[in-house]
Amino acid sequence: MIETNLLSLIIFAPLVGAVINWLIGGRLKNETFSGLVGCGTIAISTIAAFMVAFGIGTGQPGALVADRPIFDQIWTWIQVGTFRSDFGLAMDHLSGIYACFITFVGLLIHIFATGYMHGDKGFYRFFAYLNLFMFSMLTLILGDNILLMFVGWEGVGLCSYLLIGYYIKLDEARRAAKKAFVMNRIGDWGVLIGIFLLFTLTGSISFFDKTVDGVQVHSSLAAIAQMAQEPFGWGPIFAGGITSVAVLLFIGATGKSAQIPLFTWLPDAMAGPTPVSALIHAATMVTAGVYMVVRCNAIFQNAPTAMFIVAIIGCATALFAATVGLAQNDIKKVLAYSTVSQLGYMFLACGVGAFIAAIFHVMTHAFFKALLFLGSGSVIAGMHHEQDMRKMGNLRKYMPITYLTMGTAWLAICGIPIWAGFFSKDEILFKTFAASGPLGNWAYVLWAVGLATAVLTAIYMTRLMVMTFFGEERFHHEIEGEHHADDHAHDDSHSAADHDEDDAHHALPADFKPHESPWSMTVPLIALAILSTVGGLVGIPYAVSSLFGAGDVNVFHRTLAPVIVEVGKPHAIAPSAEHAAVDAHATESAAAPAHGEEAHDPHEISLERTLAVVSVVLALFGIAVGWLVFSKTPLKALPKILQDKWRIDELYNGYVVDPITKLSREGLWKTFDLGFIDGIVNGIGHLMVEAGNAVRRLQVGFVRSYAAIILFGALAVIGYFIYYGLKLVG
Amino acid sequence: MDLIKENLLTILILLPTVGAIAAIAYKAVTKDDSSQRWFALIITTLNFLISLLMFTRGVPAVGGFEFEQNVPWIPAIHTNYHVGVDGLSFWLVLLTTFIMPLSVLCAWTAVEKKKTAFFAFLLLLESAMLGVFVTLDLLVFYLFFEASLIPMFFLIGVWGGKNRIYAAVKFFIFTAVGSLLMLVAIISLYYIYAGAVQGSGSFDFVEILAAMQSGKLVLGSQAGMLLFFAFALSFAIKVPIFPVHTWLPDAHTEAPTAGSVILAAILLKMGTYGLMRFNFAFFPDQARETAWIFITLAVIGIIYGALVAMVQPDWKRLIAYTSVAHMGFVVLGMFSFTELGMQGAVYQMLNHGVSTGALFILVGFAYERRHTREISEYGGLANVMPNYAAIFIITTMSSIGLPFLNGFVGEFLIMVGMFKSNILNVTASTNWNYVAAMAAGIGVILAAVYLLWLVQRVFFGKVTNPENKKLTDLNAREIGLMIPLLIAMVVMGVYPRPFLERTDRAIKTIEARVMKSAGGAVEKTELDTKALENR
Repeated sequence: MIETNLLSLIIFAPLVGAVINWLIGGRLKNETFSGLVGCGTIAISTIAAFMVAFGIGTGQPGALVADRPIFDQIWTWIQVGTFRSDFGLAMDHLSGIYACFITFVGLLIHIFATGYMHGDKGFYRFFAYLNLFMFSMLTLILGDNILLMFVGWEGVGLCSYLLIGYYIKLDEARRAAKKAFVMNRIGDWGVLIGIFLLFTLTGSISFFDKTVDGVQVHSSLAAIAQMAQEPFGWGPIFAGGITSVAVLLFIGATGKSAQIPLFTWLPDAMAGPTPVSALIHAATMVTAGVYMVVRCNAIFQNAPTAMFIVAIIGCATALFAATVGLAQNDIKKVLAYSTVSQLGYMFLACGVGAFIAAIFHVMTHAFFKALLFLGSGSVIAGMHHEQDMRKMGNLRKYMPITYLTMGTAWLAICGIPIWAGFFSKDEILFKTFAASGPLGNWAYVLWAVGLATAVLTAIYMTRLMVMTFFGEERFHHEIEGEHHADDHAHDDSHSAADHDEDDAHHALPADFKPHESPWSMTVPLIALAILSTVGGLVGIPYAVSSLFGAGDVNVFHRTLAPVIVEVGKPHAIAPSAEHAAVDAHATESAAAPAHGEEAHDPHEISLERTLAVVSVVLALFGIAVGWLVFSKTPLKALPKILQDKWRIDELYNGYVVDPITKLSREGLWKTFDLGFIDGIVNGIGHLMVEAGNAVRRLQVGFVRSYAAIILFGALAVIGYFIYYGLKLVG
Repeated sequence: MDLIKENLLTILILLPTVGAIAAIAYKAVTKDDSSQRWFALIITTLNFLISLLMFTRGVPAVGGFEFEQNVPWIPAIHTNYHVGVDGLSFWLVLLTTFIMPLSVLCAWTAVEKKKTAFFAFLLLLESAMLGVFVTLDLLVFYLFFEASLIPMFFLIGVWGGKNRIYAAVKFFIFTAVGSLLMLVAIISLYYIYAGAVQGSGSFDFVEILAAMQSGKLVLGSQAGMLLFFAFALSFAIKVPIFPVHTWLPDAHTEAPTAGSVILAAILLKMGTYGLMRFNFAFFPDQARETAWIFITLAVIGIIYGALVAMVQPDWKRLIAYTSVAHMGFVVLGMFSFTELGMQGAVYQMLNHGVSTGALFILVGFAYERRHTREISEYGGLANVMPNYAAIFIITTMSSIGLPFLNGFVGEFLIMVGMFKSNILNVTASTNWNYVAAMAAGIGVILAAVYLLWLVQRVFFGKVTNPENKKLTDLNAREIGLMIPLLIAMVVMGVYPRPFLERTDRAIKTIEARVMKSAGGAVEKTELDTKALENR
């Protein structure tokens, strides 16, 4: 077992940063100090993460190539009976990739935030929360057991709550913060019960086989992998077996990763500062659900029903969110729905067994979506906190760097080759199409929906680019109502000014000119633009690379392949002697993806190439549609139901929240508690008082009448018991 | 030092009483009514420091007690002053001595009339509560149990809010009725013991238990059930278990801050402690047979308490209802009869003491400034009282059960214990143990709803009420008294092992007694076959 304390450094550096910023930064109120502490600690994490992952200067093999995970046992957190949860970290191929891109993207966003949050009164507080978030997120990724993962899972939820509600004076922000936490909590219920069930089934909650203080801890995932695959159907979901675990865990994923039905918090979460949206609600936290599913792929592969549910939910969410994103006017809302939609793709990939493709998309998405959000942040800062795209236009003239960098992200998300999104999205669509074995014709439906989503994505992203960077300048455009804004193609009158000092939204001065952002904001944009452009090259599929005469250059796939367990066989990344013996009896599973030295079937290669061409053509078609429609009429009205987000919030409030509140207030509290139980108690009291009055015609005080009741009642009861007790004895 | 150690528990019990007498005497002599709070603070702090000496001895052996003292008290009825601590009571004693100085501090400026009497009652209350947790003689236990009522009755009735008389009487009646039944049961046990050993009766916990375990004393099933319920009812009211909880919101809401804190943090634990100590040890069969009732009520209490808390317009009453939910978790864990669940239950008692105690103290701070408990009167407090808001949010997170804060460890162990339990039926289609744990989990979701909604309404947003604009943030005393609680929350959440290790053996003893008492190891298999038959 290889151990290194650098793993502790990765997670604790941000924690120390958070504490310093909270305790010292709060007194100094110095932006340079807080910014340096915030970014510096993340830089330390980043360096440590890359050192461990690639084995630079550690004298050990890098975690990305080592056979076994690299451990760091810190202490034993809870130990009762056979239950054991360590505060122990582990970096294997999966968490290595995650740790690297999270720390690096996180660092860029931290740097961006020093510019974006400049002049904010709570600068130190912001960085304290942001660092605390990094601590939680890295704990989630590096935790070596599912409970520690859950600790991080809840921790990121807390930070998300604090950061969404960062502008505490905004009603919108505080409501969104609470909504996010509660929605996540609903999902967490699933994770929690899933952990119980996993522990009940396997007697362990550890991800890996390991030895701690001479005690052998076995891997729960390896134990699951050796069990027989459960049949497909409704029954296993409720049977308390592997399928139940998988479904419960996935409930948690729908909360954290904003999938149907628990997605409504994410668009509201845009009330937080934009760097938060980029870091938490696009690049890192929301992909935690995908991480969990991939980490627990042994569980999911043995539960075909759960896999099917994951695929359907992911696919439905992808399409649904894309339709809503089409009709939003707030630049961040568009990106939020886009995130929900892209997360849907990742779950679709998981559901069809393409776990590696899912992680690939997580990574590329982290690059281009963080870039889009930061770009929008740059736009918002340049526009003096205006987020409504109807009041933008022609910004490419004023903000060239923002325009160009966002342009690369736009190409990436639309899936134009060679940009990063193309490779990952294409792989997902291809794997979905190819999953027709286990899924039958469903695979083609899922693929078609995925393709339709891709077209929609191209359209709404083009709309966003057109409305923001092209066309006429609408800085002083007045928006009267949501729906007929397009009636006023151009209007130079001032918008109805809201002069509230506290409000973040100000009316723009008449001579307003947007400005490009400072270097602290543009440098991260450029860095992310480069990553969005070349980041996909680590995962070029054989079908493409062979076109150029190169061999299999899919580094990404090769790195992650050992993480994906072949169910019915021992945990590939953590083989141990006693499990190897069972190997012989292992059964082949239909859902297990082929990996390792896979043979390249020429039919598959040509299929993959054909499908790639199809999706590129459709993406270009989407861009063309977006361009043609919105460059002429950037304020074109879109269906009201889409603007209203299919009225899902109203549905939840009307049919879930309000009835429960009403039941609690009127039924449980006023009727049962105050009416029934207290009624009985007080009724007896009054009855006795009345009786006493009737008999004695005397005014008896409340207290004394109660005392009398006690006495009589107790005497009667004592009498009975003494009688009974004596009878027993005698 | 040795003298102190040998009489440790006696000193812990007597010192506050002596302090109370001294405070009253001082008042009588000097007519000074303002310096008694110093008496109270010094005495309670001293008591806390002395209680730390309990750490000087290791974890007691199975079923054994440490710091035991056994002195005849009234030989005529064979009642003894018998005290001792084991893993079950160890942390509860410490919790009591830890909370007391803090509640004295939180009453520092809040009490405006009859200060001497107030602090004297606090001190007397400490004596009574410590007596409850360490006494091993049933009659003396009963006396302490009742004695704790009286100071609390006056604390609510004299220093309480507008509706204090109603609340105090309601509190007294509910709890007194219950404990009278227990007295009857104790007396019955005395005679039953006498009959069983063909000699004199006994009130001694250890003696009676030994007689039961050796088979000398066998309770008939009907007698056992009656006695079980006589004990259980008095403890259930104290906990309180749904549906006998309605005294609690009134008592909590009307009590002065220090009273609410002690009530929530310590007094309620007397109920759960009593169930584990006496009901489980004396009546293991009955405890097992009736577990489904308690588990059902606990789950209802968890969800019910949370839902009702959610809609309270009164800040303090909201937190009072959360106690119904949180104590439901404790009961659930206890009756799961698994090591995990019962360890979690004991741990959750401590957690609830720390977190809910802290919440009441915090509400007291706001009440002292604004003299209202209506949530709608507040709003935007984070703008004017940032430190207060930060501390409140941390405490909220601990109460919600965020990992690495104390609440999580207890709740998690309770639920996983319930999940793995086999105390409830397992039918072909449904494992009711799973169902109980899953339903309890809903309480965890709801906890986030009601507490965060409270935070949202009280702390966030703009300051809309002009009266809140001039509020001052916490002063040094207020922050100082919260710091030990905050430290406890973090330490108990991050490093629970020393706590769990000390309770470990006591819990295993109780679990073994309940799950195997009837026929030794056979019992377990019997249960399993029963479960199989049900399949």
